[in-house]
Amino acid sequence: MSQKFENLSALIDGENPQFDLHGNDTITAMKHDKELQQKWHSYHVIRYGLRKELPSQLNFDIAANVALALESEPAILAPKKTWRDTRLASSVVPFVKQGSQMAIAASVAVAMIIGVQQFNQTDVEQPFSSAAPILGIPGGLSPVSFEQTRTVPQNDMVEQKRRINAYIADHQQQMQLKSVELNPISNVEQQVEKSDLQSEVLEQTP
Amino acid sequence: MWNNKLKRVICSLKSLNKLPKSFAASVSLGLLSLFFVPLVGNAQEESDTSPALENSTSQYPADSAEAWLMKLSSAVKSLNYSISLVVLKPGVDSQPYLWRHAIDDNGVELEQLNLLNGPGREVVRIGNKVSYFEPNVPPYSLQSNTINGPFPSELLYDPEQLFDSYEFVLVGRSRVSGRSAQQIRVISKDKSRFGLNLWLDQESGLILKMNMVNLEGQLLEQIQVTGIHVSEKPDPFFARIEQAMLPDILVLRNQVDNPPRWKITNLPVGMHIIKQDIHRLPMTGDVVDYILLSDGLVDVSIYLQPLPSASASQDLIGRHESNTILTRQIGDVSVTVVGKVPAVTADAILKSIQVVQ
Repeated sequence: MSQKFENLSALIDGENPQFDLHGNDTITAMKHDKELQQKWHSYHVIRYGLRKELPSQLNFDIAANVALALESEPAILAPKKTWRDTRLASSVVPFVKQGSQMAIAASVAVAMIIGVQQFNQTDVEQPFSSAAPILGIPGGLSPVSFEQTRTVPQNDMVEQKRRINAYIADHQQQMQLKSVELNPISNVEQQVEKSDLQSEVLEQTP
Repeated sequence: MWNNKLKRVICSLKSLNKLPKSFAASVSLGLLSLFFVPLVGNAQEESDTSPALENSTSQYPADSAEAWLMKLSSAVKSLNYSISLVVLKPGVDSQPYLWRHAIDDNGVELEQLNLLNGPGREVVRIGNKVSYFEPNVPPYSLQSNTINGPFPSELLYDPEQLFDSYEFVLVGRSRVSGRSAQQIRVISKDKSRFGLNLWLDQESGLILKMNMVNLEGQLLEQIQVTGIHVSEKPDPFFARIEQAMLPDILVLRNQVDNPPRWKITNLPVGMHIIKQDIHRLPMTGDVVDYILLSDGLVDVSIYLQPLPSASASQDLIGRHESNTILTRQIGDVSVTVVGKVPAVTADAILKSIQVVQ
């Protein structure tokens, strides 16, 4: 029992020696073994956890549970004679019965995928766009512009937009000056360096 | 030899045919990509032998993320290199840079950062003097021992500062910029700031790629190195700089210390107040109370501007590139937070500010 899990673990770690020869016993075993398939899943979840790659919201596969719940749900007692009575439909019934569970499970899975995609989509409608570069700011900063889509009294909004653009420009500038603030060197040293520089200039001029 | 290996792969693929189709397809895709990656070859490989790095990692276990960062730091400071990189930010055109560094005969650090598109922007550092050459502004110099470039300077020069506020996790190896790279994940300890993914060159320790991701792991900003060249000798560019011709250092006048008119009670782990003053905004001329917070990786600016509540500004939240901008009215003061932090964090900081009358 534990040996087969051991094999699976080795396979996931890429340590299964017989992998690139002819087929693979572990994979063959996994095809038929629900337990192994479950382990395959949980090993990967564990690995993501160890690498700190787990998403902040875990979406475990609930399709199987939903299918199970549907199965145990009470049958609907309303008479259904309309389509069952036709000759063609009656022969389809077994197929429908067989397929319905799968279909429901699959559709739940599809819905989840769509949901996840929508959830993960980046916000396309960023209400901000770039404006012409603002000249004359020391630092030659990247253009900044802040726009908002909500309608508010025009004057206030323009005023606020202007203010926020000023904040963004100032933030960029402060970041550039930060390294100067972080490494304060006394004025005396600065002057010494400057005079050094001047003497250098004097030496070089004939 | 490759033919033999490929044949074996194809054999094993055939035997997999009995598996469910989707599974077999994914397995075979994985296998194929495994075998084709080495075939693509090292298009960008152009490194000379890099000088060996010793003693830089001694205080941390050799295979720890911390040791890798110390290796990065010492490589960035001590090697002669020339790196081409591209910065990608949302809503902005890509920005290609050339970044060169050298140690001259006297042991002085020389560094150059050049924006390659448009009118350009060139920054040259010689020791403690950083000179800026930018369009529309007369050249000037600042007293500093780092260039404020695309990479956070604390990460490159003083990574130990970050160990308190961020967790560094060694993830695995992969191939970046044609070189074998060590990936490191950087996560803020209190999950209040964006994370980073770093890829460091296995050989030299230099940085090859940096992704900034939000708390859900989605990409926000990306820096990709496209070419890296480590050499024994300094780049001839540095010999051409006439040091006497560089602009003089601007002396920033010191602020008179006023008692702050505000109080912050809640700061994310590792974040400190770097600077506080009262200054005029260059664009509007408005006078604001200013606070600069930093944890070494991200900088957050806070602006307090008195506004009579009659013309009270809207509380609003927005985004500019990957900066979050949040404005709230607190009494008669409009408070704005700007920085590359999640909106939740910006709000937490903002709400903890008390205006002292």
